[in-house]
Amino acid sequence: VNAIGPRVALGAVLPLSLIAIWQAWGMAQPNPRVPLPTRVVDAAFAMTASGDLPMAILQSLGRVFAGFAIAALLAIPLGLAMGRSRAVERNVDPLVESFRPIAAIAILPLAILWFGTGTPAALMIVTYAAFFPIVLNTIAGAKRVNPTLVAAAATMGVSRWTTLRTVIVPAALPSIFVGLRIGLGVAWTAIVAAELAVGAKAGGGGSGGIGQMMFIFYAYSIELNRIVVCMIAVGLVALLLDRLLRALLRRLLPWTHA
Amino acid sequence: MTSSATRRRAASLLVYARTMALFVVAWYAIARWTANPVLLPTPLAALDAVVELARSRELFEHAAISLGRMVVSLCIAASLAIPLGLWMGLDRRLDALVDPLVELLRPISGIAWIPLALFIFGIGNALPVFIMTYAAFFPILVGTVAGVRTVDRRLVDAARTMGVPRNRIVMRVVVPAALPALLVALRLGVATSWTAVVAAELIGAPSGVGYAVEWYRGLLMTPQVMAFIATIGVLGYATDTLIRSLTHAFTPWAADPERAS
Repeated sequence: VNAIGPRVALGAVLPLSLIAIWQAWGMAQPNPRVPLPTRVVDAAFAMTASGDLPMAILQSLGRVFAGFAIAALLAIPLGLAMGRSRAVERNVDPLVESFRPIAAIAILPLAILWFGTGTPAALMIVTYAAFFPIVLNTIAGAKRVNPTLVAAAATMGVSRWTTLRTVIVPAALPSIFVGLRIGLGVAWTAIVAAELAVGAKAGGGGSGGIGQMMFIFYAYSIELNRIVVCMIAVGLVALLLDRLLRALLRRLLPWTHA
Repeated sequence: MTSSATRRRAASLLVYARTMALFVVAWYAIARWTANPVLLPTPLAALDAVVELARSRELFEHAAISLGRMVVSLCIAASLAIPLGLWMGLDRRLDALVDPLVELLRPISGIAWIPLALFIFGIGNALPVFIMTYAAFFPILVGTVAGVRTVDRRLVDAARTMGVPRNRIVMRVVVPAALPALLVALRLGVATSWTAVVAAELIGAPSGVGYAVEWYRGLLMTPQVMAFIATIGVLGYATDTLIRSLTHAFTPWAADPERAS
């Protein structure tokens, strides 16, 4: 404990002094709209107490989890098939590689055309964003399965389906989990982008969520302190989602080091 | 190239062409079936839009603007993140000082900065450049620090024993040894900044591919929307390939990094 004490103290120097400089600089500004650390804290309390911030975060998280679940349901079976069958991989890989470089947010205008500015458009963006990391890591994991194990199962007359279930999936699981973790992070970034853009293009008449909340604070009620609160919330949720999946990985697959 | 390698290449090209042809045929059939050119134009209409946009040079203008912004932001991000990363990787105390701040800011995605940055910079060139620089900075920094950490201590110690000055150790020992990791970091930086620029241009820039996609969406000109979406994909792929071939040219001894992003 003594050894990490000074390190923590050293690490706190820079953030604390930056906050102090920000506060001092802000108080010297005549404009009352300038965001200040103290005002940000006040705004955070107010937004949490009124329930607006938790509601917006929950709404965005709901979309993220729904889109993420769809992506996982599509990507894991496809990735397993591509990783285990050369024929499937050869034939499907061109499609995956052609669409992968297209940033998810670039699809948003098309999604708005197809689904309007509601939840389905946001879901499509999240699914698209999360799909590629999951499928690529599942392919990599399915390929890395020790061939001796697969051969042993085949020698013992285990059916293909049972081999998949009892040999391949467990061996590929660590890699699949890495894909899920990356996919969830990308999905969260994508939902914020999608909600922001929907807010910007739908004139505030969109569908809520933290991204849109930020856009309303920017465009309509010009409350910079509240924008900063939202930014911090976006970062916190990203951090928590990552930690959650890492903890889940350690709990479910204690033999891997991730 | 041997003839068997050529044949294998031709075969894989054939498979590629077959898959994409199937995709285009399916697209055509669905477009015909829905019969709504605003929702889903046929592949032919999309191709027409590409040709027309290319002929009027509009496609190239927007692409050049976005690419230019990316190059500028990458240069800024790399010239900040690489020296800092080298220093943090070599100096434990500096690392302890700066790392917590980095870890506090890193989870806040570049995209989340857009509203505040819009307020500060307004709509224009500065906004996408700021967002992209921010987005590219963290992957490059983190990758550089990790790369420096993997440098064999014995090489550094050997150089030090022989009285090589510190600056020369960094330039001649640490940088070459960390170069593969550095280029991987750069590649990640390019990918994240390209995603961020599309979002930034879509919301707050008067030009660029992200802006063009949204502009034609507003006009309900779906073939043009698709043309620009494809452009975003092609440019993303091209920049990634460029960095990959740079990696190959500069660090031929390093294994091609696995495709897992």
